[in-house]
Amino acid sequence: MGKTSLFNRITKLHQHVGNYPGITVEKRDGSVKANGKTYRIIDLPGTYTLFPTSMDEEIVYNVLADKENPEHPDLVVVVAEPNNIKRSIVLYQQARELGVSAIFVVNMIDEVNAKGIDIDYQQLEAYLHTKVYTTDARNGKGIAQLIHAFDERPGYFPGQFETDETHKAALEEAKRAFPLYTEYQTWQFVAQENVSFLAKEQQEVLADIRKRHQLSPNVLQQAEAIQRNTKIENDLKKIILQKDNQHLNKTNKIDKVLLHPVWGYIVFFFLLFLVFQLVFILSEPIMDWIDEHFSTLIDYAASILPEGPLSNLLTQGVLAGIGGIIIFVPQIAILFLLISLMEETGYMSRVVFLMDRWLRPYGLNGKSVIPLMSGVGCAIPAIMAARNIENTKERLVTMLVTPFMTCSARLPIYVVLISLVIPNETFLGFGLQGLTLNILYILGVVAALLSAAILNKVIKNQHKSFLIFELPSYKSPDWRNVGLNMWEKTAGFLFGAGKIILAMAVILWVLGNFGPNDKFSNAEAYVKQANPTLDSEDLEEEVTSFRLEHSFLGYMGMGIEPLVKPLGYDWKMGIGLISSFAAREVFVGTMATVYSLGEDVDPDDDEERETLLSRMRSEINRNTGQPSYNFASGISLLLFYAFAMQCMSTIAIMKRETGSWKWTLVQTIMMTGLAYIVALIAYQLLK
Amino acid sequence: MLDIPVMEYNYIILQYDKMQKSFSLDLLKVGEKATIRQLDSSELPSKFYEMGLLPGTVLEVKHKAPFHGPIGLQISNPNILIAIRKSEAIHIFVEK
Repeated sequence: MGKTSLFNRITKLHQHVGNYPGITVEKRDGSVKANGKTYRIIDLPGTYTLFPTSMDEEIVYNVLADKENPEHPDLVVVVAEPNNIKRSIVLYQQARELGVSAIFVVNMIDEVNAKGIDIDYQQLEAYLHTKVYTTDARNGKGIAQLIHAFDERPGYFPGQFETDETHKAALEEAKRAFPLYTEYQTWQFVAQENVSFLAKEQQEVLADIRKRHQLSPNVLQQAEAIQRNTKIENDLKKIILQKDNQHLNKTNKIDKVLLHPVWGYIVFFFLLFLVFQLVFILSEPIMDWIDEHFSTLIDYAASILPEGPLSNLLTQGVLAGIGGIIIFVPQIAILFLLISLMEETGYMSRVVFLMDRWLRPYGLNGKSVIPLMSGVGCAIPAIMAARNIENTKERLVTMLVTPFMTCSARLPIYVVLISLVIPNETFLGFGLQGLTLNILYILGVVAALLSAAILNKVIKNQHKSFLIFELPSYKSPDWRNVGLNMWEKTAGFLFGAGKIILAMAVILWVLGNFGPNDKFSNAEAYVKQANPTLDSEDLEEEVTSFRLEHSFLGYMGMGIEPLVKPLGYDWKMGIGLISSFAAREVFVGTMATVYSLGEDVDPDDDEERETLLSRMRSEINRNTGQPSYNFASGISLLLFYAFAMQCMSTIAIMKRETGSWKWTLVQTIMMTGLAYIVALIAYQLLK
Repeated sequence: MLDIPVMEYNYIILQYDKMQKSFSLDLLKVGEKATIRQLDSSELPSKFYEMGLLPGTVLEVKHKAPFHGPIGLQISNPNILIAIRKSEAIHIFVEK
């Protein structure tokens, strides 16, 4: 935690977030100009050891151990907390013994006194064979001196790790097989199940050595952990004096309430409620503002551009598409502001503690709470948040079920459909419409948990499930970190998912504004011929919808009509389903086009919504002769949207995160299949 | 005879027999202190050792989540709080 604050301090805002090639661990790098040159700095994921148990940790090992790795550093800065210097020394020793130069930093130095710690730095430097720097990332203390030290390359480091006698034979054999590596590097090869940068044959050699000597990686790693920890603990006795930990006393007092078997849960659910209220309440005025100004902008653009298809594409395709993306930014930004506040203060670990028991029966992990909760904002960052779950299976299951959570993009659809089919009446003092909305949210949670339980039975586990995590001391948040984190997540949505949403908006506009045949281009003649008595206004409306019916989009809608007919939908709703596959939020806009309201309709604006609603209400399904949006088809549509994988961006992110089309397809088929079945049953029962 | 207390009692005896004076960590109550004597290394990943759960570590049970949820431990050196599941706590043997 302190490490990222330090990174932010050093690089200021000269930083960049990307991905390591081929995998999705976030790569943060930045630069700083000092000592007459520019240094490139990488913020590696935090880890306790070089033996990886998660994707993040594997990156650290690969970058440090593989000299061919493009990110392999000239100098490693090991950042320690005064509270737990021992643990960072383990990491430091491992890095040095792999042959990497390193310096040592004790961060949060201002808390040393509060934590009752006394450090003899001269002795510590002698012990570590390097320079030791002290910093405080919160106020910038010591940062300049640290940057000044970036040219240091501490040389010789005596190995601190003694291989146990019982493991020596295996190590000697491995050394003969890998003559080019340091002894400790070779030991790492033997003690890891799978070193991803080694060739397949090399990995087989190592597996063979382990097999013949009957050694398991786990036992070797434990042996190293015990040997190093015992030795360091002994050596540090003279160097670091630790008195009573004041900080932890305060934390323990707070935890008496926050981890209380009853109060803990009450506080948690209250906070959860507060978070979602804040997300909606705080974002509303900003969203209204964006909406209003975007409409003005679109009108203005339309007025200055020469009339024609190009102007139409720019205003109703591109600009409206951008508007549809930006409108979600306030909600996502506020959600991540609150989530990173919970992370920064240390509360998130308490949530994991409280929730693990309740998620484990479903094959999930306490850490799944974070993706699932974020899923209420948007599935894309939520799926990304599953990265810190160590167990491969639990991580996969979490990612597979997260999109069932009701994301903010479903909300506009729900709002429109609910006001269309659910009477605005009260039941036991609760508004029926609000109640329906609540039920839809609950359905999302239920679907996520139940499908997790099923997937848990189906998917084979490669590793034993375990959970061990630190409950950090409570501290006031570092606002820089909070701000940066919020920006990164929001930008990820804006530019990552936004690209796809925009592209689809344009494609849909093209599909809706061009047709394959004469009926589209000569719509007016056809309509006039069929209805010679229409006055000019009715004629225009009739022509618009005739044109849409014979556009590419119209033909696609009619193409899937046989498929969606048993669910109670007609071809116009089919168009909505197709187009909202790009992103659910496109649905409302498409419905507006389908019902020839043309310009962007804002579901939050009462008047505009009423226009759309009354148009949708009067629609007749030509198959059944009943209103298109009656109670049965409306419920069926709501349920379809509650479960279906109606989001291309989520599919894209799943492919990226799992690295497999198989699981991405499994998820899409599972969700859409479930949606289809549930909607089918609901419609057939209710009609 | 009542079943449940006897079963629990037998379980404790069993753990006692196996590890002589030590018993499994999950039997500690909130507020009790103990020293780790042994960890069943075939059942626990090395991460437990790396996080500081080593033979000789002094710890105090600070929190227990309800219905056999995770257990919050304060370990003395380094002075930190960590949480583990009950399913792993049964493989850690401590002595008061």
